Amino acid sequence: MTTLHLLSQSPWRQPLDSVLRLLGADDALLLCGDACQALHTGSEAWSLLQTLPATVRLYALQEDLQARNLGAAERVTPVDYPAFVELCAQYDKVNGWL
Amino acid sequence: MAKSLLLICRQSPWAGTAAREALDIALAGGAFELPIALLFMDDGVFQLPVGQQATALEQKDLSANLQALPLFGVDDLYVCQASLARRGLTDATLSLPVTPLHGAELPALLARFDLVMTL
Amino acid sequence: MSDLQVNGQTIALDKDGYLADRHDWNDAIAAALAAREGLELTAEHWEILHLLQAFYAEFQLSPATRPLIKYVALKLGPDKGNSLHLNRLFKGTPAKLAAKLAGLPKPTNCI
Repeated sequence: MTTLHLLSQSPWRQPLDSVLRLLGADDALLLCGDACQALHTGSEAWSLLQTLPATVRLYALQEDLQARNLGAAERVTPVDYPAFVELCAQYDKVNGWL
Repeated sequence: MAKSLLLICRQSPWAGTAAREALDIALAGGAFELPIALLFMDDGVFQLPVGQQATALEQKDLSANLQALPLFGVDDLYVCQASLARRGLTDATLSLPVTPLHGAELPALLARFDLVMTL
Repeated sequence: MSDLQVNGQTIALDKDGYLADRHDWNDAIAAALAAREGLELTAEHWEILHLLQAFYAEFQLSPATRPLIKYVALKLGPDKGNSLHLNRLFKGTPAKLAAKLAGLPKPTNCI
């Protein structure tokens, strides 16, 4: 069964490595809030994301990217709220990391 | 068939209420015979070593409460081995019979459950 | 909050009739609490009440019905650790009523 993992905190507050340890090959990661700060290319968090297998999908909430002047780097799909909801339904379960 | 739930406990017993809340969910679910499992990871592994004394801080004894899990029918208990190792707890005596998991065993565990909740 | 009068002593109860301070508990108080419920305590009741206190000492919480049955079965055998026996002794709500008579807090995981 697949899981959509929701991250909302900065990777410096909520280290990514523990999330990544739980990710299955068909799971996905959706970044919102300050979790999007992981997308600063060249950051430690960004390097960690690069180690994910290609099958793991990466999403980021469009408005949170915009607010932080972050572009969606390669392999990151920006989503709006309706798409966010669709994703939640698409995966077997959703796991929020508080 | 009731949905199975994996609770991921990531907080130290000394860091706010999350550890207690996760245990309350587990005990309540167990009392109603729901299929519940617990995974201790990150600072959540600090709930496990023996000899902690909550009374020194005038708090309720989470360790004692944790021991009730098997009686409440919650005996599917796991721990993230990497989390233990990073905290120097690989050889520590733990108060619960937890199954250590590492590498691909962790995502495989998540995949087995209908619901996952992280606290 | 209400009170219980036992041998000239006033014992504080919470709104559900559980002891406000479980350290108040003694045999006379247990009997008085039981009388309020229309129960007379027999040896069969007492062994469960004492077991509940052991449970609380070990786990620092009051058991729900299922763990109570399991614990009684573990300590006194399946003849006593079953819902029939415990329901008969404690008017069909063993987790709540036995905890009350044993001076423990109300179990939180029971409806």
